[in-house]
Amino acid sequence: MYRYDAIDKEFLADRANEFREQVGRRLAGSITEDQFKPLRLMNGLYLQLHAYMLRVAVPYGSLDSRQMRRLAHIARTYDKGYGHFTTRQNIQFNWIKLGQAPDILDQLADVDLHAIQTSGNCIRNTTADPFAGATAEEIDDPRVWSELIRQWSTLHPEFSFLPRKFKIAVTAAAKDRTAARVHDIGLVLRRNRAGELGFEVIVGGGQGRTPYIGPTIREHLPVGRLLSYLEAVLRVYNRHGRRDNIYKARIKILVAALGRDEFARQVEEEWSKLDSALADAPDTELARIRGAFTPLNFEALPATSAAFDAARAADPAFARFARNNVKPHKKAGYAIVEISLKAHHATPGDASADQMDVVADLAQRYSLDDVRVTHEQNLVLPHVKLDDLPTVYAALQAAGLATPNIGLISDIIACPGLDYCALANARAIPIAQSIAQRFEDADRAELIGELKIKISGCINACGHHHVGNIGILGVDKKGEEFYQLSLGGSGQEDASLAQILGPGMSAEKVPDAIEALVDTYLSIRQGEERFLDTVRRAGMAPFKEAVYADAH
Amino acid sequence: MPTLIRLIEGRYEAAEDVFTDVADEDVTPDGPVILSLARFQAEGDALISAGRKVGVRIQSDEEVETLAYDLPRLALVALVFPKYRDGRAYTSARLLRQRLGFTGEVRAVGDVLREQAGFMVRCGFDSFAPADGSTPAEWAHAAGRFRHVYQRGADARAPVFEERA
Amino acid sequence: MKALTANRLIDGEVVFWKSGQWIERFADAQFFADDDAAGPEAVQAALAQSRVIVEPYLIDIVEAPGGWAPVSYRERLRALGPTNEPTHGKQAEGGAGVEAILAATGAARSTGRVDLIRRK
Repeated sequence: MYRYDAIDKEFLADRANEFREQVGRRLAGSITEDQFKPLRLMNGLYLQLHAYMLRVAVPYGSLDSRQMRRLAHIARTYDKGYGHFTTRQNIQFNWIKLGQAPDILDQLADVDLHAIQTSGNCIRNTTADPFAGATAEEIDDPRVWSELIRQWSTLHPEFSFLPRKFKIAVTAAAKDRTAARVHDIGLVLRRNRAGELGFEVIVGGGQGRTPYIGPTIREHLPVGRLLSYLEAVLRVYNRHGRRDNIYKARIKILVAALGRDEFARQVEEEWSKLDSALADAPDTELARIRGAFTPLNFEALPATSAAFDAARAADPAFARFARNNVKPHKKAGYAIVEISLKAHHATPGDASADQMDVVADLAQRYSLDDVRVTHEQNLVLPHVKLDDLPTVYAALQAAGLATPNIGLISDIIACPGLDYCALANARAIPIAQSIAQRFEDADRAELIGELKIKISGCINACGHHHVGNIGILGVDKKGEEFYQLSLGGSGQEDASLAQILGPGMSAEKVPDAIEALVDTYLSIRQGEERFLDTVRRAGMAPFKEAVYADAH
Repeated sequence: MPTLIRLIEGRYEAAEDVFTDVADEDVTPDGPVILSLARFQAEGDALISAGRKVGVRIQSDEEVETLAYDLPRLALVALVFPKYRDGRAYTSARLLRQRLGFTGEVRAVGDVLREQAGFMVRCGFDSFAPADGSTPAEWAHAAGRFRHVYQRGADARAPVFEERA
Repeated sequence: MKALTANRLIDGEVVFWKSGQWIERFADAQFFADDDAAGPEAVQAALAQSRVIVEPYLIDIVEAPGGWAPVSYRERLRALGPTNEPTHGKQAEGGAGVEAILAATGAARSTGRVDLIRRK
C-alpha cells in the first residue's frame, strides 16, 4: 500500500498546524463563524446535533493496522469509544470537541491519517473498489489511480471553492463495488480493442434531491491523460456550475442542463487547450505510485485448504459465515473476508474501539497488514489464507464481528439520521434495527438472498436510498417521522434509481411493509432471481398491492 | 483606503494603490483607473491611446477571455470575489497567467481573506486588497504555510513529484 | 412558550439560555412567553456572544404532564441525546427533567427553526 514519505508527512504536519492556528483565531474572535466554517469543514469538522463530528479520510478505504489502532485510540480518548464507517469509505466520530480537534489532527498525522477535504465544496475522498489488489476480476489496481487523484486534488488551488462538493469513484472490476454511476465523476478502468488501458469517464451522477445515473461523456480516456481530463471537467464545472442555489449546484445539474453531448464538447474543448506535459503526471510518478501497490509476497498455496474444509463440515455457523462473508481471491489458497458491522441489535456501520483493535490485530497477523472500508459500511480483510479462516472467524465471533449477513436483508446501509445529524428529518438507525431484528433468522435471510436495503434520514441521501433494492427515505410529516419506500434501485454496474412505491408510513409499519415485500418476492420469483431482478421483471404493481392492501 | 498588499519578487509588501476604482456611474477621473468590463469596452481604447494606465475589473460571472486581445495594453486586471466561497476568480487568474500570458498585475478584490491567500498566490494573483485587515506579514504567513504542493499552479512552485525526482 | 438554545463553540455541547448564562440541562432553561420581547432580545444578546456559542435560536416548548419539553422531535433529541444509545448524551443523567421530555408526546415541527433544512 502507499507509504507516506517525508514530504507527505510534512504536508500533513503543515496542515495540522494550519488548522490549529485557524481554531485559535476563531476562539480568539479574529475570524467569524461564517469565515471559519468552510475552514473547519475542509478539515472534516461538522457541528451536529449533540457535538462536533469529525470525518477522518480513509483514502480509497485503505488502512493498515497501525492506522486502525490509532482510530481506536481516538475513539477512546476523544470520543465515546466508537466510530462510524461511512458510505464514502471514511470514518466519523460523533462526539468531538472543537478545542481538542487540533490535537486529534496531530495524532492522526502521526500515522499518515488526516481529515483533509472530507467536507466542503472541494474534491472529497476519492473512493475505490474495496477488493482492489485482491480480486481476480480487476483490469488494473484502481488504488493507483485513486492515490494519484488524492494527491492532485489535495489543496488544489483552483478547485477548492467549487459550487458544491465533488466526489470521484474509481472501479476496475466487472462488478462495481463503488456506485461509480452515481458519483460526480465515475472512472471505470477498461481496455479498448487495442488492449490499451483507459477510463470510461462518467460525469454527472448523483443522489440527493435530484438523483441521476451519470452519462458516459468519454468511452475511452488513455490512463496517462487522467489528470488533464479531470482538470478540464473541474474547470468547466467551476466556471459554469450554478452558485445561486445550493440545491442546484452539483455538476449533475450542469450536465443535465447542457445535455451530455454539449457538456462533453465543452470538456473536450477545454481539454484540447491543456498541455499534457504540464497537466498530466509524468510516467516516473505513475510508476512510483504503482510501485507502492505492487503485488505482495503471497505464498504459493494449494487452491484448497483441509483446515478450511474441515471447519466448514464441522461447524454450520462457520459454514454459513464462509458462504456469505468470504469471497474468492485472485491467489490460490487465499480469500477475501468481509466483516459485517451490521449485527442485528447494533448501529449499522459502527465499531467500538475494542472491535477496531481486534480488526487491527487480525489485519496485521492474517491479512498482510491490510484492511479496507466498503461504501456499504462494512470492513474487509483482503488477503486471508483459507488455512487461517477458522482462527480469524473465531476472533471475529468473540468480538461480535462475525454476523454472516453480507449482502443479505439485514446488511442494511443507514445514515446516522436524526439521532446525530443536523440535516436530518427523521431517524434512520431505529428503522434499520427494527428491520434487522424482524429478519434475524439466518436461514430465512439466506433464503431471501441478496437484498440491499438503504435508509436515509433526509433527502441528502447519505444512506444511498436512491440505489437501494429497497430504499427508505425518512421525512418529517407534521412533526412525526414518516418513511417513504422505493424499489428497484442499484448502485452496481447495472445502476438504476429506485422508484417510489407509495405513500409514506410511520416507523412501526415499516417492518410489516418489508415483510410484505419479501413475501411477495418469494412467492413470484423465478429461478435464481434476486429481489432486484424480480422487481425489474414483475414491476411495482404486485409489491405495491402487497404493502398497501389495507387502506391506512 | 483599504491596504493593498503586493507580491514583489517573493515578498509581500504594503503598497499605495495608484489606481482609482471607477464605478460605472462615475465620471472617469485623472490618473490610473480600473473600469468595469462594460465601461472598458466603451472607452478603454480611447484612454489607452491617450497614454493612460488602465485596469479592468472582472466580475465572477464574466469571462476573462473577453480581454484576450486587450491584455498586452492593460496594466492590471482586478478579479472580484463577491463572496470568498465563489471560486471562479481562481480559474480566471490561472487562465490570465497560463493561457492568456498576462504579465501585468492580477489583483484580488472583494471578499478577500487571509485564509485563502495560499490558493490565490498559487493561481497567479500578485496583489491583494484584503477585506479582513490583514497586514503583509499576516498575508505572507498564511500564503507560506505549506512547504510542499502536490500539483502545478500558475506560480513557480514545483509539485511534489518534481521534488522527489 | 419558548426557550433559547445554541451549541457551545468549544465543544459543540447543546446549551440553553438562562438569564444571560448558558446551561446544559433543558429543565433549567429560562422560558419565555411567545409574545415576550425578552425572547428576541435574548437572541440578540446571544448573537453577540460569538466566542461562546454558535447559532442561537428560539424553540417552541410545550407543557407536558411531567414538565416542559420542546415541541419538535429534533429539539427533544438535542435536549436528550441519541435514541440508539441511551447512555450517551444528557439523557444519561436521568432525573425528572429528562423523564418529562421522554414522556412528552404530540411532537410538531418547531416554528422557531423552519429554515433547518436550508442550512449548509
